[in-house]
Amino acid sequence: MKRPAGSSLIKNLEFKVGALLVSTVLLVVGFVIYTMYARGDFQRTQNLTLIAPKADGVSIGMPMTFSGFPIGAVKRMQLSEDGNVRLEIAIPSKDARWLRENSVFTLEKGFIGGAKIKAHTSNLKDQPLADGASRTLLTGDATEEIPVLLEKLKSILNNIADMTNKESQINQTLANVQDVTHRMTGEYGVLEGVLGGPEKARQVVAVLEKTNALLASLNGVSLKVDAVLAKTDSRLFGPQGVMDQTQESVAKLNAILGDARESLKKADALLANAQAASADLPRITGNVREATADMANLRTEIDDSVRKVNHLINEINKKWPFARDVEIKTP
Amino acid sequence: MADVASHREFLAKNDLIAEQDNALVSPDMPLRANLSVIDNIALIPQYRSNLKYSMAADQAWALLVETGFQDMYAKRDPALSYSERFVAKLLRGVISKPAILMVDRPGMLLPEVHYPPFLFSILERMAAYLNDCWIIDYQWNRALYGAQISYPELDYPELPQTQP
Amino acid sequence: MIFVTNFLTRRGTALLATWRIWRDTLLFAARAILTAATPAAYNSATRTVVMKQIYFTVVQILPGFTLFAALLSYVLIQIVVTTAASYGLSEYALEVSMRLLVLELLPLITALFVALRSSSAINTEIALMKINGELLALENAGVDTMRLEFMPRVIGGMISVLALTAFTSVIALVLAYLAVYGWQTWSLPDFSRIMGNVFQNTVLLGIFLKSLAFGLAVTVIPVAEGMATPRMLFMAPISVLRGMVRLFFLIMLIEVASLAFKYI
Repeated sequence: MKRPAGSSLIKNLEFKVGALLVSTVLLVVGFVIYTMYARGDFQRTQNLTLIAPKADGVSIGMPMTFSGFPIGAVKRMQLSEDGNVRLEIAIPSKDARWLRENSVFTLEKGFIGGAKIKAHTSNLKDQPLADGASRTLLTGDATEEIPVLLEKLKSILNNIADMTNKESQINQTLANVQDVTHRMTGEYGVLEGVLGGPEKARQVVAVLEKTNALLASLNGVSLKVDAVLAKTDSRLFGPQGVMDQTQESVAKLNAILGDARESLKKADALLANAQAASADLPRITGNVREATADMANLRTEIDDSVRKVNHLINEINKKWPFARDVEIKTP
Repeated sequence: MADVASHREFLAKNDLIAEQDNALVSPDMPLRANLSVIDNIALIPQYRSNLKYSMAADQAWALLVETGFQDMYAKRDPALSYSERFVAKLLRGVISKPAILMVDRPGMLLPEVHYPPFLFSILERMAAYLNDCWIIDYQWNRALYGAQISYPELDYPELPQTQP
Repeated sequence: MIFVTNFLTRRGTALLATWRIWRDTLLFAARAILTAATPAAYNSATRTVVMKQIYFTVVQILPGFTLFAALLSYVLIQIVVTTAASYGLSEYALEVSMRLLVLELLPLITALFVALRSSSAINTEIALMKINGELLALENAGVDTMRLEFMPRVIGGMISVLALTAFTSVIALVLAYLAVYGWQTWSLPDFSRIMGNVFQNTVLLGIFLKSLAFGLAVTVIPVAEGMATPRMLFMAPISVLRGMVRLFFLIMLIEVASLAFKYI
């Protein structure tokens, strides 16, 4: 009697398990080969050595990008004898055409994420980069500048705080300016402000009026002189002649006008100081704003300070009776 | 457990034979529950002679046919009747052609048949594979066996079991 | 005083028992590996048991489990990709999701699933074989139970965990590509570059060793625990629950150890 075949409880056990094992082995081997391919083990590459003072954030396998596209990867890193870092980059031959003799390589590190090695080529018609070439890696590290930036910001803010302090020089200056401009709105305007009171201003005005009168008479004198010149020279140029007297009058007039000019110069200087101070503030705040695009807290603090200063300046502007280009003209 | 240990002790003390060369059919030695009868029997040559499954199964099948129990070849332990289970256990011992085949308390293995005639008929069919067969039973069952077998003198009368 | 003595004695006994079972497990693992490395240990019956073990552990569950793993992978990949995009870190999404899934989550989930399904079955089966005396009967009939029942299960379990991990990982890889780049093939070089970055040789070796360790754990513990079961029927559930708890502990230990090895 023949043995009945297949007493086993599972149909096609051998086939099923065999198929599973074969497919598993295929998957594993295929996956390993794929990762080798993905790592570029089957690609022809050329080497590029980048030398950097330091390589923070650089790791093996890190890509090097050109225009945002990866064209190579860090293959090996080592510290050279002189303390620099040598990064060996493998570049697939087909991507090597993006690199030229004039190419520049940078290592950039942002606030978030790892470092990035970037290649920049300005002229793609230049000589191609030779295999095994060696270049310096320029580092530009945004995060490294943060502490420096913060230090600068701090000092700027301290300055602003000093400026906006009650006892600060600028406040005193502004108080003085306020005082001066208040006086300027008086009867004698700027002169009153510059000279410190209506009395003195009146004196100046009086002097000026006298000067005007003098000038008018001087005109008359010179006309007469012309007439006299036409007639007689000897009298005019002789000792104790008319000319001598005229010279004396003119000298006096000059002295008076010089005094007035001095006073006006002082007022100008004062105004220039105030203007410079108020012009500086927006510039400083402009810088600050640029540097701290993301630092909302700092910005609000600065804004607050600036708003105070702006307010003061606005007040000054309101009380200032003249347009900027108006000049005080001597008659 | 105690039975097996005492059996073994008994065997060792009598310096009978190496363990590999005897086979034991016992209520304490169950079949492998998740294998069919033929697989249970074939397992032994698969291990002891490194046979392929087909050859081992052929041997097992031949034994099943000789005993007349071939219909149970695909059954598993819980589905077997007492006599079927007994035959399966016996064949598992027989297939390795042991020097001594020991049948431990056949009355416990075959509660539903008049066991000495059944046992002897199976053993006769298996005679070609057997060298020596020992039946271990209680002294008071001695009468059941008659004069067909020899009764050795016992060296250890204090032993709980009698050797007929 | 007597309470303290009793208490300490009980604790000491429990501690010794725990220590003993771990030692037995390690010894068994060593023996199983040694046996598995011996070509002469394999015969037709051993091979059948290995095949059955693989069949019950992998082939039977392959469709359902891969479907589940695919679903889980897809959802997780989407979460990572979307979250990364909202933080402006899209370039890292693929790498992060692959590291998360293929390196950590999929091997762990596979091990846990196999533990739930096959290890509990193995533990119960061995415990019942021990209680019934089947193991003893086999030994008595000249069959080496290590070769017939234990070592094939260990081999089958290791192959099973490896196979399931490989299948689910490849599916996760394909899904990650589809989730990030969609139904087109132009982005394959980009994808390959990131994959090449993630799957270094050491990482591949790490996955392989971890899967092997998981496969060893999910079979060695239940077998050792089943073998240590006292021959009393009521001990079977206790044996299984002990085995499962120890298995869970060991799987987590392997995972944590691999993480610590990788990231510390």
